[in-house]
Amino acid sequence: MRVLEPWVAEPLAEFLRESSARLTLVMTSAGQVIAQHGFTRSVDVMSAAALGAGILATTDELARTIDEPAGFGAVVHQGERQGVWLSAFDTPRGRWIGLVVFGQESSIGLVRLFFARLAAQIQAAAPPLAPVRDVLAEGFERELDNSLRSLFGSR
Amino acid sequence: MTIDQWHAALREVTGVTGVLGALIVSAEDGLVVAETAMEELATADVAALAAALVMRVARCTSAMDAGLPQTAYLVGDRGALLAVAGPAPLWLVAVARNDGELGRLRLLMRDFADVLR
Amino acid sequence: MTDDPFAGAPDAPPQGLAFLELGERLRQRGQHAAAATVALSGLAHYPTVADAHDLLARVRADQGDDSAASRAWYAALECDPDHVGARKGLAFVAFRSRDFAAAERHLDIAAMQAPHDITILNALDRLRGLQPARAPVGTVRLTDPAGGVLLFDMQGMRLAGSVREVADVSLADAAAAEGAGLVREAARVARMLDLGTVRHVVMETADAKIAMLPVSRDGALLIYRSSATPLGRLLGLAGDAARAARDWMGSSS
Repeated sequence: MRVLEPWVAEPLAEFLRESSARLTLVMTSAGQVIAQHGFTRSVDVMSAAALGAGILATTDELARTIDEPAGFGAVVHQGERQGVWLSAFDTPRGRWIGLVVFGQESSIGLVRLFFARLAAQIQAAAPPLAPVRDVLAEGFERELDNSLRSLFGSR
Repeated sequence: MTIDQWHAALREVTGVTGVLGALIVSAEDGLVVAETAMEELATADVAALAAALVMRVARCTSAMDAGLPQTAYLVGDRGALLAVAGPAPLWLVAVARNDGELGRLRLLMRDFADVLR
Repeated sequence: MTDDPFAGAPDAPPQGLAFLELGERLRQRGQHAAAATVALSGLAHYPTVADAHDLLARVRADQGDDSAASRAWYAALECDPDHVGARKGLAFVAFRSRDFAAAERHLDIAAMQAPHDITILNALDRLRGLQPARAPVGTVRLTDPAGGVLLFDMQGMRLAGSVREVADVSLADAAAAEGAGLVREAARVARMLDLGTVRHVVMETADAKIAMLPVSRDGALLIYRSSATPLGRLLGLAGDAARAARDWMGSSS
């Protein structure tokens, strides 16, 4: 597990222990990776972050199209051996995204249950709001780059 | 069994003294398929945890070469969770207080699980 | 010895062990002294063959020497802990001495090893019908390798006892490893659903009833019995086993 914000470490460790998730990524909607567990290569984090954020953005648009103002709580893709859970949640620092890959040792129900706790604990533990930053396409890429360097060193 | 019959069965289980709720759970994904419960019972949480328990129980009976579990009962100081296998991957699950009629609940759930199968 | 369900049917002798068949024929004809001679001379050549001890035990039981019969059946179990005939024989001598709890314990174990043997299930039913409602539940022996009681620690390591063996392979280590995971899962479920401290988890399969109960912060038990065992009886045994386990842990620390 690697975290940029130390106050995320404890809730994330509890989430990983309780949910038995294989991979987890926590990022801002601007693309800054806050924490990750299980990824070994920065390129994988980059892909997962970009794809996950893209899927959620697409789903939010779909919700608007079908007039579902509250949006969808989560997006789940269930494969034969693994599943992916994607969900956004509000924090004092803006909207964050969680991407969780889980296997047969866990379940959608367990990930849902403990992800809700993770979100609540992050909300409660978050320090005062940082200045709002622009969310632009080029900003997303730059933020992602910066955070990956921090998470993986200079690899 | 139709969905309406499921709900009727769940209502009957919930009618047993001390029962806080009854639900049909998919053990594979830990999600609620049907439910009847008091408001204070977080049925989605019950489904996730009951499915995790059932999976653990299955690993345990498999380790002892004892076959697939048909029932799993967790009894604590204050309450109990009873789970009875229906047609795979569904399980009938009930949560009850410890002062409830656990014996009657167990028999009723076994009857319904037989019908579900 | 009679053909009573407690008596135990003779098993077919292994190839090359013709003395078993001869001894059994002599026993059935009532020629006990000759049968004993055959059994003893066979044992001199094949001391690790459980069926040979079983033959001698049945002859001794027919001669009315139950203590010699018991010794021979326990010797059979040392050669083959899954020997159903020896369990049935021990149940028979316990029954004859009116130690119903011991008889039931041996039959319970026999039923685990041969869950579809109707003679064992019938014998268990008869035995339970004979016992008063509040009969003592019997002694739980953590040291009995076929006792169906396994004590393990929270790291999933076996501390004492064993649940069962299949094809001469002990399942104790695998059961201990999975048992520890079950203890943790049960504790989590109980904590999150406000069920209080875990007393026990009972699992039922087509062939078995199994109870898991924590006995301390560091240890828990698995009790394995046949599906014919009433749930209340299983929990009674579990309670006894928990006391035995605490004693064992106290004396081992």
